[in-house]
Amino acid sequence: MLTTVAAGRVYDYSYCIGMYSQAGWGFWAPQDFVLGSNGRMYVLSRGVEQLGQRVTKINFDHEFQGQFGSVGEEDGRFVWPRSIDLDRTGRVFVSDEYLNRVTIYSEEGSYRYHWGRSGSGDGQLNGPSGIAFDSRGTVWVVDSLNHRVQSFSQIGEFQSKFGKRGGGDGDLEMPWGICIDRQDNIYVADWGNNRVQKFAPTGELLVKFEGSSTGVGSLKGPSGVAVDSDGDVYVTDWGNHRVQIYAADGQYITALVGDAQEPSPWAQTYIDANPDIIKARRRTDLEPEWRFRRPVAVNVDADDRIIVLESYHHRLQIYNKLKDYEEPSINL
Amino acid sequence: MPHQENIRLMAHLMRRAGFGDTREELEERVSKGYEAVVEELLYPERQPAIDDELLYRVFPGYEGAGAPAINQANWVFRMINTKRPLEEKMALFWHQLFATSNSKVDNPLELTRQIAIFREYGLGTYRDLLVEVAKSPAMIFWLDNQGNRDGAINENWGRELLELFSLGVGNYSEDDIREAARAFTGWTIAPKIPRNPYGRFPWLFDYKPEDHDDREKTFLGYTGNFNGEDIVDIIADQPATARFLARHLYRFFVADEPHVASWNITPPVDPEAIELLADAYNESRGDIRSILRALFNSEFFKNARFARVKSPAELIVGTVRMAGNYEGFKPGFNNLALECGWQGQELLNPPSVEGWHTGSEWIDPGVLMRRVNFAARIFGDISLPGVQAIVKRVLVNVHMHGDSSPRAIVEACLDAMGLLEVNEATHSELIAHAEKCGDLAWSTHEEFRATMHNVSKILTLIAASREYQFA
Repeated sequence: MLTTVAAGRVYDYSYCIGMYSQAGWGFWAPQDFVLGSNGRMYVLSRGVEQLGQRVTKINFDHEFQGQFGSVGEEDGRFVWPRSIDLDRTGRVFVSDEYLNRVTIYSEEGSYRYHWGRSGSGDGQLNGPSGIAFDSRGTVWVVDSLNHRVQSFSQIGEFQSKFGKRGGGDGDLEMPWGICIDRQDNIYVADWGNNRVQKFAPTGELLVKFEGSSTGVGSLKGPSGVAVDSDGDVYVTDWGNHRVQIYAADGQYITALVGDAQEPSPWAQTYIDANPDIIKARRRTDLEPEWRFRRPVAVNVDADDRIIVLESYHHRLQIYNKLKDYEEPSINL
Repeated sequence: MPHQENIRLMAHLMRRAGFGDTREELEERVSKGYEAVVEELLYPERQPAIDDELLYRVFPGYEGAGAPAINQANWVFRMINTKRPLEEKMALFWHQLFATSNSKVDNPLELTRQIAIFREYGLGTYRDLLVEVAKSPAMIFWLDNQGNRDGAINENWGRELLELFSLGVGNYSEDDIREAARAFTGWTIAPKIPRNPYGRFPWLFDYKPEDHDDREKTFLGYTGNFNGEDIVDIIADQPATARFLARHLYRFFVADEPHVASWNITPPVDPEAIELLADAYNESRGDIRSILRALFNSEFFKNARFARVKSPAELIVGTVRMAGNYEGFKPGFNNLALECGWQGQELLNPPSVEGWHTGSEWIDPGVLMRRVNFAARIFGDISLPGVQAIVKRVLVNVHMHGDSSPRAIVEACLDAMGLLEVNEATHSELIAHAEKCGDLAWSTHEEFRATMHNVSKILTLIAASREYQFA
């Protein structure tokens, strides 16, 4: 369905951006993205082994604006980049799960500095995954293999932590993504426990998002989370290849499954250049291509557009949350 | 049986049924008893599988990868990190027997899916495995069965099914090939979404009744309106299939044999062993697990130590498993996969439908140098956890026995590497080298470093020995 109506909400598929590529136009196993100013997005590609790692700068009009970063352990490089976010001045922060550090770049991608030490003590990292900023500019890092969340100053000074390994309320099991709402509440994708947990800045558990005991609204290995202006919560249900949507109180609303029936302009250029590909696409059911495969990160922009990043399909799918939608007659 | 002999036998079992064990792992297995370990190996589903969700979280680019090296890396990761060694070893065995190559298929993802079939069905009945392989899109494309239609027979799959996958040359006629091919008409592949711009999509088996020849066929003396599964049923019940598979299993798990292409003119090196395995096949109606149980518990297996040249994958995976430098997740599994290719075994890309030429044919002067250098480089790196563990075990052993003579040091090194047995000439050369190193000492940090280094040099020489190159 291109338009999904559920519980008073309307989600309308708009278009997609991106395709697979080892460099330049496109992404390779992208893991996270962040919205910048002037419609710019930064998309973080994980690549594979020694190829494809980079940050791609693009805008919503499919304009490729360059890329920065590459594989390596030297300053400004990364090995297993996982998450990306911007501070209030537009500087780019990238977490690296292998090197256990966070690297900081200028808005255009010049290396500035990095911080992070391996370990399990306060301020040390083991597999830093999601990163997000609160309203005071504090950096919150999902310290995945230490099963906790830590906060730092922008130069890497340890400030606080919460969470411990386990399956009880407030516990974490290899958590992945993170987002912070306007009240500085912290949402953590608790990957190994198949849920998202919402915490107060003090670490107090507020709400769990995991569906009902019957399985409705359930999650399998959630990876990313975002909140819109109404407080609705979007979770990339990575293991189930869908995006689950919940109300602020945890009530399940609906799911998005991907609707990219029209290739992106970049992808269309590739297809148009290959006559055999055009023919091969006409003899098969393309639905598996439209649908989400490993949706990994989600963001909501100021206009409540919901933007979903797919790792396996190397693209972004964009939905509008419509506020003035009028249902057509059911008997048409 | 003395404890040391039990360790040697267990080391032999684990080199063959797995990729080798560390000395500590061998101790643990010996405490369970040989037959119990065989049973444990035969039921891999009782051990945890590789967690695919975790694997693809850490290596998202592995999932659906289009590049051969990444699909090879995916498999090498599993071989090194599996808790189910026989499952991966059987996948390697079936990959050798049902050799399907990316050089033609040009779809590494589909070959990876074929390897998954080997994991899932590789210890079940041969009949079920043959059916799954016949439906594998990679195999269908490899042997052209997508072009095998009623009225336009393509015999490629039918021929190889009989010649290389079941009966062997001399046990069927040209008519049988044609009739088998007729039975498999209509077994094809559904068109898939083409590769890119959004990654790779799987091929799916498709049966097209309109392309199937449903008229009567006569195959190996049986007559009926056979479809492909009927042909497999007949094949799986043939004594020739039992002997053919027995010889393949003997060649892979027991001792080097000539290449399959010459089996119709070259008798087995141990006919009694082949008969025993064939009997196990017939008695169990082709149950692979039952045949392997007979094999691993047989005297001919237990007495066949160092009778096979390690394949490159066995050598590389076994070495890094012992050195512990690729345990868990880390970058670089593609380099190990590439190393397999450089040593002559490019996984997912065997040279022909007959698979690799094994045994002494793994070795030529250039490859031997590469194999030796690879293993020696690993064991010469005392920063690696497994090498450190071996060196420390050597030092503890020497200290406990109060004997730091060159002979004692060499014995301790061989012991720590899994009670490796070497011939007298190698033994003498190792002792001669140990004599040059002087006494082991560890009173100061410098002495300890020098001792670690000296012991690791002996380990590198052992890794270069003939016995280390054999399984």
